Amino acid sequence: MLRRIQYELSGHLVGPALLRAKEWRRRRSRRGRAPKAGPFGPPLESTRKLKELMSLHYLQGRFADGAVPVAWVTSGFPVELLRPLGFFTLYPENHAAMCGVARTVPELSDAAEKVGYSRDLCSYARTDLGCVATGKTPAGRLPKPDLLACCTNICQTVLYWYKALAQRFGVPLVVIDTPFVYGEAKPHHVAYVREQLEELVSVAERVSGRRVDPQELVEVTARAKEGSRLWGECLATARSRPAPWTGFDGFFHMAPIVALRGSEACNAYYRLLLGELKDRVARGIGGIREERHRLLWDNLPMWFAVRELSTLLAEEGFNFVCTSYTNAWAEAGVRVDPADPYGSIARAYTHIILNQDLTNRLGILRRLARDYACDGAVLHSDRSCKPYSIGQVDLKERLGEELGIRVLLLEADHNDPRAWAAEPGANRIAAFMESFA
Amino acid sequence: MAVLPIHYPKEILTALDILAVEMWGPPGPPRGAAAGRIQSYVCAVVRNALAFLASGGAEVVDGVLFPHTCDSLQGLATQATDLGGWGKAAFVFQHPRGGERASARRFALEELRSLARELEAWTGRSLSPELLAAAIRLHDEIDGCRASLLDGRARLPIGDPELYALLRRGEWLWPEEHLAELRSAVGRLGPEPAQTGLPLLVTGYVPEPMSLLATLNDAGAFVAADDYAAVGRRVVRRNGVADADPWADLISRYLAHPPCPTRGTDLAVRMRHLVSLAEASGALGVLVHVQKFCEPELFDVPAILAAFTARGLPVLVLEGELERSLSGQAETRVEAFVELLRARGRAA
Repeated sequence: MLRRIQYELSGHLVGPALLRAKEWRRRRSRRGRAPKAGPFGPPLESTRKLKELMSLHYLQGRFADGAVPVAWVTSGFPVELLRPLGFFTLYPENHAAMCGVARTVPELSDAAEKVGYSRDLCSYARTDLGCVATGKTPAGRLPKPDLLACCTNICQTVLYWYKALAQRFGVPLVVIDTPFVYGEAKPHHVAYVREQLEELVSVAERVSGRRVDPQELVEVTARAKEGSRLWGECLATARSRPAPWTGFDGFFHMAPIVALRGSEACNAYYRLLLGELKDRVARGIGGIREERHRLLWDNLPMWFAVRELSTLLAEEGFNFVCTSYTNAWAEAGVRVDPADPYGSIARAYTHIILNQDLTNRLGILRRLARDYACDGAVLHSDRSCKPYSIGQVDLKERLGEELGIRVLLLEADHNDPRAWAAEPGANRIAAFMESFA
Repeated sequence: MAVLPIHYPKEILTALDILAVEMWGPPGPPRGAAAGRIQSYVCAVVRNALAFLASGGAEVVDGVLFPHTCDSLQGLATQATDLGGWGKAAFVFQHPRGGERASARRFALEELRSLARELEAWTGRSLSPELLAAAIRLHDEIDGCRASLLDGRARLPIGDPELYALLRRGEWLWPEEHLAELRSAVGRLGPEPAQTGLPLLVTGYVPEPMSLLATLNDAGAFVAADDYAAVGRRVVRRNGVADADPWADLISRYLAHPPCPTRGTDLAVRMRHLVSLAEASGALGVLVHVQKFCEPELFDVPAILAAFTARGLPVLVLEGELERSLSGQAETRVEAFVELLRARGRAA
């Protein structure tokens, strides 16, 4: 009972009050200071709300275990089925990205490597396993899971990673195994995923001690679909010239659609963001001050170097106006149909970009480059994400030949700065930018 | 038909009179420039395979089967067929992951039937229940012989290089021919131990370079228990009566495979299996022989270290990349490991 009170207070009373006080102190300390001059446009006002939303989520998470059922889930997991059961959901990938931005990954990875995990493994997994081993997190504390839920639609790595977590925590692991799609999924593939969703619900109901209310499931599914639609509209505002924000802004603003998908808080946030982006479009305000070239980014970001990279590019008038990664969260949700939650969720989550063939991937990149009028692309060859990176050498050639745009293959890692050679990397980017002269 | 690693329904290929020739890379440096089409941080099996296929190395075969073993092999399947490298017939086999569930059993059956239909159309041959049942019996017998050789390893008077050359010929011989030589080898099993070296449990992906085995034997150790994905993890031990329906029987055979990380086996189940292998063989040490960048194998290494350290069994983790031969450093590590085990034995 005490735990539940702490959980509710942190989420609805104390947490918001603390965050408001923090924001007040921040504004006060900046009063009278002139805004920093730089290559970027005015900062998005919505960012403050984003920070508040995500901070509150992690703050409430500190008190979640023992108060409500807790599930650790992969980013591509059909979370719609857990929401009606009252689960607090934690996304280790999202949390690992936080660690990446906070530059704590080398220390956490060292802890994972110390017990035998190879540095060649995914840096999200190493970050998370290091957090679990040391208890160190920028979020203060992570709630222990009652359920582990992984879906192989983003990679098979998550299966091995979550097996390790299951052994560590001794809690049930549910796996939604999504067969890889060539063209369109075969009927027996979708039937298999659908059947697993039903198996998942049975385990999750047992863990939570509740039953899924069909009406609530319809409502959550409708909200998730709406959230994806809103997120897609936010991204689409970058088709304007100048784009009202940068693709790198998008990496941060995607947090709610990943971690809070299916909730009203998520949708309310994207309505706010969309309003601001439309207003910037109407007033001709760009994400960078002088947009001369528009680029496409493929793969995850380099969380530890987002600011450096975006500044380097923005100073020369280059803006990432679209990214295949953030776009994935807009495309998946449109297949969801509240009238048929199980069937449509099975289809939607099987047709994630990383779970489809390279012909489909090439089609998406081609379409994004055309729709957003890109004159160049950077394909992040990510050591930690093999499913996203295999094929990029060929995709680079195809995009360049078919669209006549300049394409750079940039080798790095999404979370481990030790796999990024900063100066040679910056030189490659500089040479890439010079080629546009 | 060329077949990529690891698990695939060989019984169906046998029943349709298709010769499976497995492609574990092939080992050695990449053959052809196409290896560069896959980044260097992806495992050598996949890079070499693309280079081999794209350079015409597999022109003698009529088709390729890509099992969806891991992210990298899955990526290879779409890259080689969608973006160039393989223009002849291509098939995929997707196996269920995440433990034995009703859904997994049904999916496996559908996937097997779907592959069988595609192969029937491709070959113009019909897969009758009788043909499938006969192929299953044949592979049961092959596995029975392989199990006898692996379980009775200490009583077999041949070295590891010879044994593994025999076992791995099954990757490309017609099953009937392979069975004949296996039967002959089983006939050589004696009643008393024939190996005098230190018994080891070896777990890993594929015994490449094969010179590792000679190094082990020369250092005074031998593989007493095998958990290579290419070898021991594909030996099905079935003692029950075969199901009258060959499709149901095929599923039973599939589910009876030893634990393997690529099939999503629970860690505790796999560790129990490895410990039982070590105990049954009297292994005094464990060699974890992994391919660099092989995620399914690498993720299980901490659990293996923990499981055997807790039992006082030393573990050596050796990483390789399909080299033509073992490096001097790796040889030294193996020799030092065996010396350590010998010293421990003397002290005990």
